[in-house]
Amino acid sequence: MVLTATRTAVVTASILGLIPAAAFGQASPVTERIASCSTCHGEDGNSRLANVPSLAGQPEFFLLNQLVLMRDGVRMIPAMVPVVGDLTDADIQAIASHFAGREARASDEPIDANMATRGRELAKSLRCGSCHLANLQGRQQIPRLARQRIDYLIRALRDYRDGTRAGADTLMNNAVAGVSDADLGALAHYATAPQP
Amino acid sequence: MTTPSPRPLSWFIAVLVTIGAIAVRGQAPPPPGFSPIDRTNEAQSKQDATLAPHATPPIATPVDRIPLDKISLPSGFKVELYSSGHPGGRTMVMGPKGTVFMGTRQLGRVYAVVNNGGTRAARVLLQGLTQPNGLAIRDGSLYVLAINRVLRYDDIENKLDNPGMPVDMTQAFNLPTEVHHNWKYAAFGPDGKLYVQVGANCNICEVNPGIHSQIRRYNLDGSGMEIVARGVRNTVGFDWHPVTGELWFTDNGRDWIGNEGPQDELNRVVRGQEGAFYGFPYCHAEGIPDPDIRRPQPCAGVVMPAALTGPHVAALGIRFYTGTMFPQSYRNVAFIARHGSWNREQKSGFDVVVARIDGGRARIEPFMTGLLDAKANEFHGRPSYVLPLEDGSLLVSDETNGAMYRITYSAGAGR
Ligand code: HEC
Ligand code: HEC
Repeated sequence: MVLTATRTAVVTASILGLIPAAAFGQASPVTERIASCSTCHGEDGNSRLANVPSLAGQPEFFLLNQLVLMRDGVRMIPAMVPVVGDLTDADIQAIASHFAGREARASDEPIDANMATRGRELAKSLRCGSCHLANLQGRQQIPRLARQRIDYLIRALRDYRDGTRAGADTLMNNAVAGVSDADLGALAHYATAPQP
Repeated sequence: MTTPSPRPLSWFIAVLVTIGAIAVRGQAPPPPGFSPIDRTNEAQSKQDATLAPHATPPIATPVDRIPLDKISLPSGFKVELYSSGHPGGRTMVMGPKGTVFMGTRQLGRVYAVVNNGGTRAARVLLQGLTQPNGLAIRDGSLYVLAINRVLRYDDIENKLDNPGMPVDMTQAFNLPTEVHHNWKYAAFGPDGKLYVQVGANCNICEVNPGIHSQIRRYNLDGSGMEIVARGVRNTVGFDWHPVTGELWFTDNGRDWIGNEGPQDELNRVVRGQEGAFYGFPYCHAEGIPDPDIRRPQPCAGVVMPAALTGPHVAALGIRFYTGTMFPQSYRNVAFIARHGSWNREQKSGFDVVVARIDGGRARIEPFMTGLLDAKANEFHGRPSYVLPLEDGSLLVSDETNGAMYRITYSAGAGR
């Protein structure tokens, strides 16, 4: 399975020492910690790895919220356990502010125009824009969808629908209750580059 | 008590009609616990379509930024900061030794706030749970109800440093798997049973009336489930009247059919009419038919509320007051925390009100105000639950600031 393969690759990278989990705590720990995120999330916070989300340009509150949930073990991401477990509130605030301030760039995945058109109609009837805003840039605790990786969007939507994203705000479980895989795909192709 | 009214028959008919309505839809038979997708028709609401639920900060508000100075109370009442540093803390129960336990939603934590002779220390007791909003205490055991999970921590106040493994009673309680509106509220009734709600897992939809939109009660081990109220959209607060022993509960009205309502409700379960039907999804407030989910005679057999508590205000915690610190006129009133609106252009709520009860009706009056800046349409905090203390003072939790306020009264003060 593709998903598993990617997860394994990511975890392996961490085992091989590409992510120096133990090497923190010297000169400027937060800066170094931020650098360590780039292995997976991309140099500038824009991910080029399948199923790994971009962080650039996310609302600061969203990043803060998710990082606290990850540190506390509510949202468990095995690949990230070594890099978030020991963060202080202040570290998390600094990290959230850093990535919120980076520019979100479009993903390099091809967008299927037909799916995107269908996704736009679905998004209208399911009211995705009411919370994520019309241009899907997000706000506060609600994430940016625009320019996010398509594969990650699909996976996140499926996790909400199936109730497998731990610690999720239940509004999202409600928003995609009963939506088919095909429709989730269409929503993702639309959401990454919302057109009016 | 007076003679039983004919209502039990009418709610029975209401349930039959409900089941009929589901069958008539004509699609594949609904699996157990089903609820179809939300049937909100936002275009008809004529509200700003970008209203959205408010965020709860996951980290503590520094003490000097807690909005204590914004709070105002009737003459003679005073407010102080009781404790802080418990972000997202909502529900409160007190153990026999004076520890206040607080439940949260998304943060997944349960806090223990220990009283050390005048100063309070908050600590994280449990973490990593899924929205442990439901807390109840009995015989030294803390019952923790997370989304569709039931855990019991025995002798908890002697184990604050290491609560150990709980007794997992999830299977016995057999709560449904849907998550939305299924963070729990829980409390022990005067009959010794554990009362728990199962909310509608949508804003507005046809629910399976055998599973969702109920208040239930259970024996302590999860056996003997009985349905106490049906057609309840989402109550996350209830208490028993100190004189009549009847159950009173708040209920949150649906969203996206306008700024003015339907209003939230304060309801009463008349003794002998346990199992009555409160209207969801067909009939709201004092008889407003739902525009999205229709049935003939939508309000037939529906128990009307004892009071309306305001449009979209999110009335959450309710507790009756039996203390003696507050003036005599507060004896047996209910305090209700109104968490504050999101689905309303002009914000409302963000306060604590008093419900003065007269037979089956109640009158709502302001009590703790000031956290809503109506002119700027902004709020400074969100009262979530109330807890009367033994000395007659009242605790109010503020989820936004991770704080508890303590309200006291002394005659002659503030005149
Ligand atoms: C070993 C790879 C790896 C490293 C290193 C890593 N992450 Fe992640 N991160 C992931 C994966 C994979 C996900 C998505 C998990 C999922 O599917 O829910 C993720 C998700 C996130 C999310 C949630 C984003 C969203 O849109 O929901 C945030 C925030 C995040 N990571 C921040 C960080 C930060 C900050 C660092 C550095 C301190 C970091 N990550 C380091 C792999 C990594
Ligand atoms: C009622 C408000 C609301 C609506 C409507 C809504 N969302 Fe969300 N969405 C949220 C919130 C809040 C979160 C963050 C949830 C969490 O904490 O896990 C979120 C998270 C997400 C995520 C996860 C992104 C990430 O980076 O992890 C995706 C994808 C998403 N929403 C897509 C959608 C789509 C597509 C729709 C329409 C079908 C939609 N949302 C409708 C509130 C909403």
